[in-house]
Amino acid sequence: MHEYSLACEIFETVIATADQNKASAVNSITLEIGRLTHVNPDQLLFCLDVLSGDSIAEGAKVNVNFVSPCGECECGYKRDSGVPDNACCDDQQSLYEYALMTCPVCGKLLQLVGGNELIIQTIDIDI
Amino acid sequence: MLMHVVNVNKDVMKANNELAHSNKKLLIKNRVFAMNIMGAIGSGKTTLIEEAINALKDRYRIAVIAGDVVAQMDASRFEKLGVKTVAANTGRECHLDAKLVERSMENIDLEDIDILFIENVGNLICPVDYKLGENVRVVVVSVSEGDDTVLKHPMIFRTSDLAIVNKVDISEAVSADPSKMKADIEKLNPSIPILLTSGNDRISIDRWIEYIESYLE
Ligand SMILES: [Zn+2]
Repeated sequence: MHEYSLACEIFETVIATADQNKASAVNSITLEIGRLTHVNPDQLLFCLDVLSGDSIAEGAKVNVNFVSPCGECECGYKRDSGVPDNACCDDQQSLYEYALMTCPVCGKLLQLVGGNELIIQTIDIDI
Repeated sequence: MLMHVVNVNKDVMKANNELAHSNKKLLIKNRVFAMNIMGAIGSGKTTLIEEAINALKDRYRIAVIAGDVVAQMDASRFEKLGVKTVAANTGRECHLDAKLVERSMENIDLEDIDILFIENVGNLICPVDYKLGENVRVVVVSVSEGDDTVLKHPMIFRTSDLAIVNKVDISEAVSADPSKMKADIEKLNPSIPILLTSGNDRISIDRWIEYIESYLE
């Protein structure tokens, strides 16, 4: 379980950014989580919530946007993965779906590009 | 009071990848071949590394980074074989990251080393997200974990360079079908080399050692 250390890194960045901008409070944090990472969003949010207690980010809402990988094939076929972004975020299930995606043209396994990110996109602060 | 949206745009995963890249550069500069050995607790990582050390230590200079929640136990097994060993304690963490490997490498004279084995912490999930700077990623799965283990952890098989199905000699006793595991790995990663190994089968261990040597010549 590496959600705690990731949450620490996110929290530190959020607080540092808030301080740089002389914020009095952090209202919300928007994250982008790649669907190929093994990050469990619920655990990550829980850790962030615990870490933010007694800080200017206490109670901040965390918005999560999921990023699907793009599938590419040797034959030149390329498209966004067929799995919709709002699909169930159950870790193992969706990883399995992505891992076995095949090319509709030639049937080979698709190479997955992207989907490995964990990005702190924006924070919404009071100044 | 002013509400204000600040663009942060920082990828938390990228920090590790950048560090892994600088580890890799350091390894290449010193002509060190590094293997990241991943697999569950009890899959047989330590034994496979011991076998490789025994077979290769007369011809190559070897070091080991033994990563574990409490790493000293495996580390002393490698030390007994006379190779430079660094125990990388991860504390509460579930995987080695590039920072821990960077720190561990500071205790190794890389100019004096040909092969670096990195024994990763025992699980099939977390190490996937963390590149270390290794040349080759090896995933070890034993039949005793159940023959559905491969499909339960697809990404580690997609991102590894070699897959080892270990302890095949006890397949029957644990009701596992190693050929199913091999087929599942092929389904997930058609081009990955797969070795079926058992500590009691010298030929299979020799194949593992030949695989390592194929990178060294
Ligand atoms: Zn194709």
